[in-house]
Amino acid sequence: MDEFRKTDISPDEIKSVLEVLDPDGERPRNVITTSGLNLRFGDQQILSGVNMDFPRGTITALIGPTGSGKSTFLRTLNRMNDKVRGFRHEGDVALEGRSIWSSDQDLLDLRRRVGMLFQRPNPFPMSIKDNVVAGAKAHGIAKGKQLDVVAETRLREVGLWDAVKDRLNDSPYRLSGGQQQLLCLARALAVGPEVLLLDEPTSALDPLSTESVERLLRELTPALTLIVVTHNLGQARRVSDNTMFFYEGKLVEHGATNDLFNQPRETNTARYVNGLMG
Amino acid sequence: MLVRRHEDRAWRISARVASLLPVAGVAFIVIVLALKAWPATTVNGVSFLTSSQWVPGNTYGAVVHTHGVAHPMGSSYGAWPLIAGTLETSVIALVIALPISLGTAFALTERLPRWVAQPITFFVEILAGIPSVIIGLWGVLQLGPFLASHVYPLVANHVPNVPVLRFFRGSTGYGEGLLTSGLILGLMIVPIIASTTRDLFMQVPPLPKEGAEALGMTDAEVARHVTIPWVRSGIIGATVLGLGRALGETIAVAMVSGSILGKLSPNIYGTMTTIAATIVSQLDSAATDGTGFAISTLAEAGLLLAVIAIVVNLAARTIVRHSASHAAPVGRV
Repeated sequence: MDEFRKTDISPDEIKSVLEVLDPDGERPRNVITTSGLNLRFGDQQILSGVNMDFPRGTITALIGPTGSGKSTFLRTLNRMNDKVRGFRHEGDVALEGRSIWSSDQDLLDLRRRVGMLFQRPNPFPMSIKDNVVAGAKAHGIAKGKQLDVVAETRLREVGLWDAVKDRLNDSPYRLSGGQQQLLCLARALAVGPEVLLLDEPTSALDPLSTESVERLLRELTPALTLIVVTHNLGQARRVSDNTMFFYEGKLVEHGATNDLFNQPRETNTARYVNGLMG
Repeated sequence: MLVRRHEDRAWRISARVASLLPVAGVAFIVIVLALKAWPATTVNGVSFLTSSQWVPGNTYGAVVHTHGVAHPMGSSYGAWPLIAGTLETSVIALVIALPISLGTAFALTERLPRWVAQPITFFVEILAGIPSVIIGLWGVLQLGPFLASHVYPLVANHVPNVPVLRFFRGSTGYGEGLLTSGLILGLMIVPIIASTTRDLFMQVPPLPKEGAEALGMTDAEVARHVTIPWVRSGIIGATVLGLGRALGETIAVAMVSGSILGKLSPNIYGTMTTIAATIVSQLDSAATDGTGFAISTLAEAGLLLAVIAIVVNLAARTIVRHSASHAAPVGRV
């Protein structure tokens, strides 16, 4: 990698070359776009007026105090809130230009394309290998011998292969918390998502596991677009390109992570990123 | 202080005694049954398990002795049709009750809004509380005749004449028989399995289920891959509870089986009997056997039923242990 850094090609030039080579160049630059999004549970307004673009191949961090609406926002993007009682939405969320609620958008396919990793590891009650391929099997992406390939590829991708290759048929619940979370990440990757939603993915993990998850997240871009809810401000700074700050049901401020942390425009943002408000 | 210490001592001793009561109960029942059954066991021999004859002999006539045991002239007992009938009705009951129970439990916990689920739960529990004699009465007066005149012929005439399925063809009778008994038993064990399974489903944490949904699985796939495996050992336990009830259920089966001794039903509609039903329906006439041999034979049948129930229980435990060692939740999320 160091060899590349020594060249005197400017980042902008590399970028323009990459754009030509990029097979996705024809597709919309923003994978997900929300417009005028209002979210309610019953009479309670959770979030109002969120307009936001999520550019392809970037990591966006969602930060804000508990109850600010960021998790609800995240769970709306793959329609996990739809079955919650009293959930109502106004405005729209578009995945590559098409509303996620439009009648020709299949819910199962939406969730294949927009994957999710949860606060705590949630392996299924089946063997480690079956966990990785569960989604791929359900979507008919692979079958028979191919499943072994999928399992190995994805476990290698998350750096878990060496640790589990001799016990693929064992219970996942004997793995450590960090390993379980990596297993869940491998499982999410196995269906070939374009977007990954992460809901405080390291809040239940120890610092070392957190570090390996964060390193992975950076490696997953630009192939994937990541949206991460986090209470860990350091994590937001370390991994994300863009940051959104939610406060009391509103998207207060968003922008490049460096700008938002170093030159926040709003007082509440400044107070939050400087740890004056929890 | 002293009073408290004495109280504590009394409490610990009484708890220990109480915990021994089930053991003593089982031991006592088995010992008494075995003692009562002993004369019959020596005379009937191994053929008791394979023979189909059920002939009390001339209970007012001559008494003969075999291996030193007195029994009426011409008496000959074989329990094979009873054993087969017990297993057949229980299997039918399970095949019917298990999917219905799982479906009910699933609908109650995942699908139906509370205002529908609550009354249904109530009725499931009511069903569990209906005395079996009433269900048997309904079966013999209403369900059996209805099925025999409207449903059974339809099935019997449309099932292809091939091995296994042939068992569903032929004379459909009048509504007393194997299938009606199995259905009645199924109805009786649905509440047992459904209410236990419902409680189990409610204990499955939402996070793994959400994980499966977020992966793009359908509700059915979530149930199959996550919810049911999560509580698999519990479902097996509930099923064994239901099976135990089906194996031992007496009066309802005695009412709807036709209580035909001495032969197996030629098809799924025919009259038959089970061990439990035979014991209750033959007890009166067995008491007329002055040698006590008929009673001893019923005790032997009872012992056999107890053995079957225990074997089923042990088998289920083995299954549970096997499935638990594979990939069941150990450190639950």
